[in-house]
Amino acid sequence: MGDDLVVFDSVEKHFGSFTAVRSLDLKIQSGEFVALMGPSGCGKTTTLRMLAGLDTPSAGEIRLNGERINEVPAHRRQTPMVWQSLALFPFLNVRENVEFGLKMLAVPEQERRTRAMDWLDRMEIAQFSERHIEQLSGGQRQRVALARALVTEPSILLLDEPLSALDANLVIRMQGVLTRLQRSLGITFIYVTHSQSEAFAMADRVVIMNEGEIAQVGSSRDIYRNPANRFVAEFVGRNNILNGDVRAQPGQTGHNQRPVPDDCIEVKTSAGTFQAAFNGQPPGNGSAVTLVVGADLASVTAAQPDTSNHVRATVISEEFVGAVVTLFMETDDGTEFKVQLQQRELDKLELETGTGLWVSWDVANTHLIQA
Amino acid sequence: MPITDGRSSRLYAHLWRWPMPVWQLLFFLVPLCFMVLMSFWLVKNYRMEPAFVTANWEKMFSRGYFWNAYWRTLGLAGLTTLIATLLAFPAAYALSFKVSETVRRWIIFLLIIPFFTSFLVRIYAWQVILAESGVINAGLATLGIGPFTMLNTAFGTIIGYLTLTLPLVVILQTMSLSQVDRSLIEAAWNLGSSRVRTIATVILPLAKTGLIIGAVFCFILAFGDFVSPYYLGGSKPPTLSILIIDTTKSGQQWPRAAVVAITMIVTLLTVAFAAVALAYRSRVRR
Amino acid sequence: MHNKTTGRFSTWILRAYIALVLVFVFSPLLASMVFSFNSDRFPSLPLGEFTTHWYKAVWNNDAVPEALRNSVIVSLCSAVLGTFIGFCTAYTDYRYQFRGKALYLGLALLPPTIPLVIMGLAMLAWLSRAGLSGTLFAIIIAHTVMCAPFAMALIRLRLQQIDPNLEAAAWNLGASEWRTMRSVIIPFTRPSIIAALCLTAAVSFDEFAVAWFVSGLNKTVPVVILEILQGNVDPQINAIGTFVFIISITLVVITQLIVMKQNKGHRHGR
Repeated sequence: MGDDLVVFDSVEKHFGSFTAVRSLDLKIQSGEFVALMGPSGCGKTTTLRMLAGLDTPSAGEIRLNGERINEVPAHRRQTPMVWQSLALFPFLNVRENVEFGLKMLAVPEQERRTRAMDWLDRMEIAQFSERHIEQLSGGQRQRVALARALVTEPSILLLDEPLSALDANLVIRMQGVLTRLQRSLGITFIYVTHSQSEAFAMADRVVIMNEGEIAQVGSSRDIYRNPANRFVAEFVGRNNILNGDVRAQPGQTGHNQRPVPDDCIEVKTSAGTFQAAFNGQPPGNGSAVTLVVGADLASVTAAQPDTSNHVRATVISEEFVGAVVTLFMETDDGTEFKVQLQQRELDKLELETGTGLWVSWDVANTHLIQA
Repeated sequence: MPITDGRSSRLYAHLWRWPMPVWQLLFFLVPLCFMVLMSFWLVKNYRMEPAFVTANWEKMFSRGYFWNAYWRTLGLAGLTTLIATLLAFPAAYALSFKVSETVRRWIIFLLIIPFFTSFLVRIYAWQVILAESGVINAGLATLGIGPFTMLNTAFGTIIGYLTLTLPLVVILQTMSLSQVDRSLIEAAWNLGSSRVRTIATVILPLAKTGLIIGAVFCFILAFGDFVSPYYLGGSKPPTLSILIIDTTKSGQQWPRAAVVAITMIVTLLTVAFAAVALAYRSRVRR
Repeated sequence: MHNKTTGRFSTWILRAYIALVLVFVFSPLLASMVFSFNSDRFPSLPLGEFTTHWYKAVWNNDAVPEALRNSVIVSLCSAVLGTFIGFCTAYTDYRYQFRGKALYLGLALLPPTIPLVIMGLAMLAWLSRAGLSGTLFAIIIAHTVMCAPFAMALIRLRLQQIDPNLEAAAWNLGASEWRTMRSVIIPFTRPSIIAALCLTAAVSFDEFAVAWFVSGLNKTVPVVILEILQGNVDPQINAIGTFVFIISITLVVITQLIVMKQNKGHRHGR
């Protein structure tokens, strides 16, 4: 670790009048597992394809191992990729598919065969080596695609939504396979996905992209707890998002006639006035801000709580996933709140649809985004 | 899109792109254009001379036999198109809705076979079958009917045209009918529409484009064919295709043959565009 | 509601009608085969005796071996050239977007819509200016023009089934574009290339109109048939026709088997 294996330096990509990627700056170290995540059309796949040489940057520079590769054709890059469609060669059998990359490197036949069989063995599909691709299951094909990409011992592996065609159980298993593989090989994985669960479960670092730009780079925890902007807060799901403007600074008198505590400011939103913690310089009164509260960090009570951040809301619907329940609630002014709690906590509340409850959360758990 | 920059890439792309246009330009478009040019040339002592005279056009267009041939060809091809469309439809309907997919595929395969067998041999067989003392008349004689004159009549010509076109029309109609959504037909039945009415109100409008395309191909083939009118129709009075052959093969009057050919192409283009416009308009209206 | 019995009845009527259409389409073919073994010069009912006389006559006809040789040369050359041009066009259409592509494809697919007589006249006029008329080259050139669209259509259909990332996957694994053509595109399209070769060979082998216009003294088999036909009723035609039919049909059946297998494999792969 420590060296920048891949550097994107102010990279842009235009397709006609459409800008797929704009001024992208990103450094990826060797041995890192990086996920590029975002909605479709955010530029994540284009970024990956530019690294593989399948698209040429319109501006900027891409460096691999410190060398500019903008002009290097795809077949000279050693950046193997696992495709969403897998793109296995249907006219070759499993072993011949895996041998393909070695054949292009002019590796002698005997060695080619040994190395291909080693990898098939490693992926636990050696017994299928002479089968045709169409005779394999989805999971087995996935393993062939991985073996085919890794057999040339590259220092980097690109993965373009490789698990999106698999069913849920298989996805979890393949996530395990991929994570173990990356740890044991110690090479860089760049993984493009639109799925949070895949990105958060596997990646050391997650890059969130939106409309061709990086919205945030950080660990899964960072992105989940401290979204850098409203887009990330919304994209990452289960967050309550409140827009408002700053009304009181630390020490000033707040809306409940008490002074606002240190390290806190008071923000007026359509649902009510709440306090939020801040780092560094507080935003001045009147400036527009967004408050983000994780659904799992909010709680509901029947009695009005004695905290500064609470609001009355009515239950609209409930969603059960295992023992975790998400309550979808609405305040009088129509602001939506989502609260996650354990099934047993819910049982204590004895609620029905339409029950009014108090939603509350800690000031410390109120994440502040300055516009 | 894959990268297309870099020298080898560009060379690679051009290698695949250019063979077709070069070949088709040299040996298809240029010959056709040359034919247009040639129609303005002069023939002196059985040799063509470059010129720009409209004499060939005037000569052909002022001749009664040219216009007779023109209307005769148009009429025969039009009649054949009508007959082929009507004859093909029940078969295409049955192939689309009354047989299994495997049977349909095999019958379509059977219908493709004639395209790759000598049309001449088939026409010759018809000559023998339709002759005054041929198989059909001999068969009818045992019933005490006939004999009928079928060879060297318009009937013979149309039999020849149908031999050429009917398989294609059935195939094209079947392809378009079998794409009609079955649930729409069942819905119509469910609503109490009779079979015949379902065909008229549901199936025909949906398959209209396909039916028109089948008819256009039928017209193009019949309009251009010279074998049927020559060997089954007795070549008199001639069709336009026979006119071209006679004018070319005897007398070296290539420029006049070119005039006939260009007239034919213009007619075909007009018919094809009109038909496509008809197919398209009916689709928009829906 | 529909009466089940009338429904079944009309179904059988319609099926019988299909059979009737097939009878119309195949009766001249079958008749010519039967007549080729029939002793009568003017075959009628009842049929004459069985004979192989007409085949012997063809065997001893000096024009036939020469014509057959010409036909084989012409159809082989036009099949190879037409399939090559068709492949290039199909691959270009599959792989590249460019301005004027509609026009490009129009040019590629136009030839079959031009009547053969007109094609023959235009070819004759142009190729005789180029000093080529009357040679086998002239027939090969003309047949290639007519064959390429069929080859293009068959190969394009196959390319329709390719995973759009397959080429990129090969580049990604270190294959240059040329290498990818050799080790990915050609193996993938091989069935359709073979099918196109068979189909275009069959088209060329049966084509008589254009060949008749431009061939001069180098006649192909269908041109010989045409000339016999112009002379008099001669059952030799049936014998040649049956022979040509067997060659063509073999080529077409091979094509059909390849196409069916390819479709089955594709459905299997889903």
